[in-house]
Amino acid sequence: MLTEFGKVLLFLIVGAMFVAGGLIASWILRPNRPYPAKLSSYECGEEPVGNAWVRFNVRFYVIALIFLIFDVEVVFLFPWALVYRELGLFAFLEMAVFLAILLVGLAYVWVKGDLDWDKPVPQIPKIERDRPAYKQQTPAEPVAV
Amino acid sequence: MVEQLLQSLSRFLPETTLTVALCSTVVVSLFLGRKSQATLFVALAGLVLATWFSFDQMGVSETIFSGMVAVDPFSVFFKLLVGLSAILILLFSLYSSEVQSTLHRAGEYSALILAMALGMFLMAGASNLLMMVLAIELTSLSSYILAGYTREASDSSEASLKYIIYGAVSTGVMLYGISILYGLTGATDFYGINRALTEESVNSVALLVSIIMILVGFGYKISAVPFHFWTPDVYEGAPITITAFLSVASKAAGFALMMRFFKVSFIDANAVGLPTGVWTSLQGFEWNKIVAILSVLTMTLGNLVAVWQNNLKRLLAYSSIAHAGYMLMGVVVLSDKGLAAVLIYFMVYLFMNLGAFYVVMLVANKTGSEDIDSYKGLGHRSPLVSVAMVIFFISLAGLPPTAGFIGKLFLFAALLDATWIWLAVVGALNSVVSLYYYVRVVRNMFLRDPEGNAEPILFSTPQLAIVMLLLLPTLFFGLFYSPMVELANASVMMFGIR
Repeated sequence: MLTEFGKVLLFLIVGAMFVAGGLIASWILRPNRPYPAKLSSYECGEEPVGNAWVRFNVRFYVIALIFLIFDVEVVFLFPWALVYRELGLFAFLEMAVFLAILLVGLAYVWVKGDLDWDKPVPQIPKIERDRPAYKQQTPAEPVAV
Repeated sequence: MVEQLLQSLSRFLPETTLTVALCSTVVVSLFLGRKSQATLFVALAGLVLATWFSFDQMGVSETIFSGMVAVDPFSVFFKLLVGLSAILILLFSLYSSEVQSTLHRAGEYSALILAMALGMFLMAGASNLLMMVLAIELTSLSSYILAGYTREASDSSEASLKYIIYGAVSTGVMLYGISILYGLTGATDFYGINRALTEESVNSVALLVSIIMILVGFGYKISAVPFHFWTPDVYEGAPITITAFLSVASKAAGFALMMRFFKVSFIDANAVGLPTGVWTSLQGFEWNKIVAILSVLTMTLGNLVAVWQNNLKRLLAYSSIAHAGYMLMGVVVLSDKGLAAVLIYFMVYLFMNLGAFYVVMLVANKTGSEDIDSYKGLGHRSPLVSVAMVIFFISLAGLPPTAGFIGKLFLFAALLDATWIWLAVVGALNSVVSLYYYVRVVRNMFLRDPEGNAEPILFSTPQLAIVMLLLLPTLFFGLFYSPMVELANASVMMFGIR
């Protein structure tokens, strides 16, 4: 019979077949009539501007991190909501503590100005400790963002 | 279920305190502490409380949160060690020019130190592979940021980047090893692994591979050769306070985790005919031989490379690598005596190593240099601090009448007891090499004339008080070491092990 890991392997194989089957079936059944609008990349109904392979502003990184934290928070809220009736007050307090910790984080990014889009020009490193000359960098020109 | 959680929570008080303190530092830094030291004091209060609560847990022996974390004398010992060193580091920070010149970011600094301490508290108690990885990651992520704390200096950012790359790779390798071990035993908690290995024999090659991979993670945390490459650059680039913290607390937490993992998972509980306090490994799996090789490599390379260093932070970095090598000798012998020797060594190492780093920081604050040449004639410019430095160095080299001698004595005694004579000889030879580079600094301080500026360097009373706080135990424990030994012997007890 199957071991526990055998079941996982079976799951992987069936999953791959499910995706491949759907794609192949639609490829066989669908009519093939391409035109430019259909071939362009989908950007929520907007007309695409330029190439998708552009450099993104590094500040999207912070936004993405903040988004991720609150996304995970919601993931934790669902199972909590399911068992809430059984656990009662304890569960409520526990989630309150969890949310409070996240709110402190939100307050932090807010006050530090990471939610404002118009941020001052990044500061360029100034102080150099004594280190060999070949390792010293010339500060780069500030780049407008 | 809920009762069990609440029961666990009451045993989780030190960690909870640290978490609350962490949140409070963030709030305080937002609403009160612009350009003030308030957050440093909030963090200090939190750490003192957390250390006090762990002190309260002495004598407890149980696991909490369904076996995720063990609260036993062993973990309490390391929590006290980490707490004490974190408190000392925050005291150092009050006088560090690197921290004081960037007070507007002191909130981040104190919050991250608390996060690091929290990770180390968890590392001291973790008794599940998942908890182990989480605790290591919490500690590492905070220390990556702190290593790059002085972002005006490019070598600090360099240190941070090197640290994060090495850290990511070694954690990845460790996780792979853990997945193999889980595949072999079907358990993630240390006790379950032990049970699985007792019941049936597993493929010994796979076990060996997984243990070597897991050792990569431990080796990185305690900076053992050949996983030490990040150490010199990170220690040099990071602010001195953080370097000192990494060299003591981070290493201690790594050792705690490593000793618990090996002892709990691989001890053969049914072995017969062994004297008390000596244990043997399951299935004849001699992981301690791998650790012995690591130990020899670590202390030899650390000491030999330290001889050539001219920057005192780098010198202390290599010396701390060498000390990790000495302490690994205590893990090799598979006896409670060996583990107790490691604990004794850590108590001693806390005072002497933090002391040496603190003096380096004080001098760098005044002269602006960590170079060994800037120490020329320091003995005449600042006698008290120089004498303190000499004592810390003598202790690090392991000469009597300092505490460092006691640490080495118990390590070697444990080795000779278990007839690991050759390892003891290598260790002793290494101590001789280490004497050379420590004395080089001492020679510069007392036998060389100052170059250029020969003005006396004056330090404030609180600064000197902290030097004394570290100096007195270094001397005191060298003469009156029995309380230290008793504490260590009581602290090798881990939950569920004879």
